[in-house]
Amino acid sequence: METRLRTWLDRGSRRCGTGLSFVVFGLGGTVLSVTLFPILRLISPNRAVAQRRINGAMRRVMGLFIWFMRTLGLFTYELHGLERLARPGQLIVANHPTLIDVVFMLWLTPEVGCVVKRALWRNPALRWPVIWAGYIPNTEGAQLVQDCAQLLAGGRSLLVFPEGTRTVPGRPLALKRGAAQVALASRADVLPVTIVCDVPFLTKGSHWYRVPPRRPHFVITVGQPIPAHRYSVGGVPNALAARRLTAQLSAHFTRGIEAVMRAQPDVTATNPPEIQSASL
Amino acid sequence: MRVSMHSEEEVFGQVKRVLAELFELPPERIVPDANLYTDLDIDSLDAIDLILELKQITGRKVQPEQFRHVRTVGDVVAAVRELMRNETAA
Repeated sequence: METRLRTWLDRGSRRCGTGLSFVVFGLGGTVLSVTLFPILRLISPNRAVAQRRINGAMRRVMGLFIWFMRTLGLFTYELHGLERLARPGQLIVANHPTLIDVVFMLWLTPEVGCVVKRALWRNPALRWPVIWAGYIPNTEGAQLVQDCAQLLAGGRSLLVFPEGTRTVPGRPLALKRGAAQVALASRADVLPVTIVCDVPFLTKGSHWYRVPPRRPHFVITVGQPIPAHRYSVGGVPNALAARRLTAQLSAHFTRGIEAVMRAQPDVTATNPPEIQSASL
Repeated sequence: MRVSMHSEEEVFGQVKRVLAELFELPPERIVPDANLYTDLDIDSLDAIDLILELKQITGRKVQPEQFRHVRTVGDVVAAVRELMRNETAA
């Protein structure tokens, strides 16, 4: 009985914490967009300096938000191979299980650009921050590939989620080939990052208040860089090289997810005291 | 004479070969009714590569606009034949 009460309390507190995090993120984002980011732009002598400062500020804000959520007991995490994210000009590709993957990645990666919804270019509050940060609107096809390759050529890294949207839980990963096309067009190295959350959490199509039965644990693993240009050696057409590179990435993520899930103990079955301590 | 060279069957054979080689597709999946995007997993960037390859077949400049309404393998064959007809007429 006591165990059930504690489990109930734990879930309740994580539900409140998740709701609070949404509010903080929404309000915080809006406030920063009309205060900190414009100020950083104004005090910077030019666009390049402003972009660097805004990227740096973004990183700290994301780190703060992760710290906030972890302190609320919403999840735990472990990080592997982070030093590989520091090299500039890499195409960083990650699988996308949860809503907060991008928060982790923008916190962990220095000098990184990303592709964001083009609807933000029409949003009065967010329009300028995304422009100052040097982010790329999600247009389509050749235009998007060209924008991405140009960002990489400028020496920054680029973060892309090749699935295009969050993974549907229980389904195999479905990677689009755009990321591979960017790699082939830019000749940048591809750095795969495998994100695993051991229970479904903030997944696609789920409601935020449906918190998992126990506290989720993230394992984020930065892999070894893949020299993408190898795939087009010998005049292999782009269409084919992109397919092969995408297949390799897909296999890399799938293997990585399976390895982590195998290594995770089934906490619900074997380790109830850990769940209880979370709510105390 | 030229008309028979560009028979539907022959153009289909060429299109099929290009699709199979360019996208590593199993030939049995390449049928006239197959939708390029939903059945054969071809995306907008692939379509550009495909148009470049078709240039080789037709020996003509192919404008992407001419392929805007192409959805199925059969549409590709029709578009290629249309291009070749123009070529013969020109």
